[in-house]
Amino acid sequence: MSSPSLTLPSQERPAARRRRLLEILGALAIAATYVYLVLNQPADITGGPGSASALIALTGFLAGAILLIVAVLPTLPASTLVLIPVALVLNIVLGQFVGSTLVPFYLDAIGTVMIAVLAGPAAGAATGALSSVVWSFFNPTVLPFAAGAALIGCLAGLAARYGLFRRFYLAPVAGFVTGIIAGVVSAPVAAFVFGGTSGVATGAIVSAFRAMGDTLLAAITKQALISDPMDKAIVFTIVAVLVYALPRRARQQFPFLRRHRVLAGNSQPIGTRADAPVKDKAHGTASGSASDSTLNG
Amino acid sequence: MTASPAGAAPAPARRERLNPLTLLAAAAATAVITTAAGSWALSLAVVAACLGLSAAGGTAGRVLPAAAAVLIPFGLSLLVLHGLFFPEGRTVLAEWGPARVTAEGLDFAGQRIVQLAAVVLALLLFSFSVSIPDLVAALSARGVQGRFAFVLASTLTLLPAIADRARRIRQAQEARGLVVSRSLLARIGAFRLQAVPLVLSLIEDAGTRAAALEARGLSNPGPRTSYREVADSRLQRTVRTVLMLAALAAVVLRVVAPGA
Repeated sequence: MSSPSLTLPSQERPAARRRRLLEILGALAIAATYVYLVLNQPADITGGPGSASALIALTGFLAGAILLIVAVLPTLPASTLVLIPVALVLNIVLGQFVGSTLVPFYLDAIGTVMIAVLAGPAAGAATGALSSVVWSFFNPTVLPFAAGAALIGCLAGLAARYGLFRRFYLAPVAGFVTGIIAGVVSAPVAAFVFGGTSGVATGAIVSAFRAMGDTLLAAITKQALISDPMDKAIVFTIVAVLVYALPRRARQQFPFLRRHRVLAGNSQPIGTRADAPVKDKAHGTASGSASDSTLNG
Repeated sequence: MTASPAGAAPAPARRERLNPLTLLAAAAATAVITTAAGSWALSLAVVAACLGLSAAGGTAGRVLPAAAAVLIPFGLSLLVLHGLFFPEGRTVLAEWGPARVTAEGLDFAGQRIVQLAAVVLALLLFSFSVSIPDLVAALSARGVQGRFAFVLASTLTLLPAIADRARRIRQAQEARGLVVSRSLLARIGAFRLQAVPLVLSLIEDAGTRAAALEARGLSNPGPRTSYREVADSRLQRTVRTVLMLAALAAVVLRVVAPGA
């Protein structure tokens, strides 16, 4: 991933293997914590403050997210690294704004998904986790959702890699599926750590399910299954609009886009330099958004 | 539970000479111990101590609005959720149709709110009183990736700059005749007209910055020299170790304790 050095002998092999190990450990920590929480849930959720579950959720998810950051961050090229702060600012500004309105959405992942589409699943996962860590400087309550954010970045990158952003109508579908998975994983955090949700509008939806007699975890999971897929479908659509509006010169910075033909219209064979003619983005499916870039002058 | 978090938190007058990592350890240990203990008294004590420290340190003007922005929606959400709908509650105080106000529900909500307030205040007190350049230097000196430090520092400095640029783009589009009407479609259109140029210019900038950083050897391996000296002492190192052990002990005690 990192830029090849022409002068120094490569010493990357053992380091690369160690990073791969860290990545796997991080993913395992997140998965194991989730399975543990779901298997052992009902015992102490209403009996007491439930802080044993809260502590396990916090420790497991945070450790997993930090392992992922440590594993992925050193491998990113500089062009991706400088985009991460931009993505974090977009996440924070939009998330902070939407979180305070009466809409049961979050929209706090636009930057993460954008990086994932431009630079791949590993970069997306690291951005998601970093976003939660840095945002917690202003809002400590987002810290426990680091694992969920990393998962969103990873899934968005995988969707881009397997061509779901080549057709404009597939992007919201991919977002919807990502939202289902992310919502199910984030629900135990909301339930065990906070005993509810952070927003007024999402809280109202949880209340409705509680009124029907659901357990807290079930109610929050159902709320997440209502909010998250819609939210992520919107986010993926916005990101698709933004990425298709990028001029060619900006897209050239990202080898991931070329290597896996993430966007429609970049039809050069794999591995060649993409400085071919201007017959770029003229494909029917994306033309609605591709023509946007002419309006921004 | 074990160490008193209020006692471990630093005196504001000597804040400049304290290592940022000591502050971080104090805030993190406070958060962990409060969560693990889960008692009304300790949570309230931590809230009071944090308020007192931020007032004494002169950061209350920034900590309190930030904390309120987080805690008020959260508190309202929890109160509505558990105050009105708590099917497990037995002691009914009032009842309207499906909504039942129960003592257990209010107790649960109150406990969560106070606990959360303690954690949020402790961490916000840290992030608003620490000097970010010092924190970055201390992290780099401890072998934490220069890259993480770059992301942290860059985000915190970009935040106001990007907000400013978004404002200028809105003004420019308004000068071109952008009028936001009430209909949803017009709002979406207006959002697009502002978001697309903003993101394009940000990515363009990032590309320039990447080239500059690459030319200065960001990706090269090897040790880095820092010009910034961060004060540290044996005492502070000991305090940090003790705080971390105390937090760990609190977690272990809570998890293995019977009835937890």
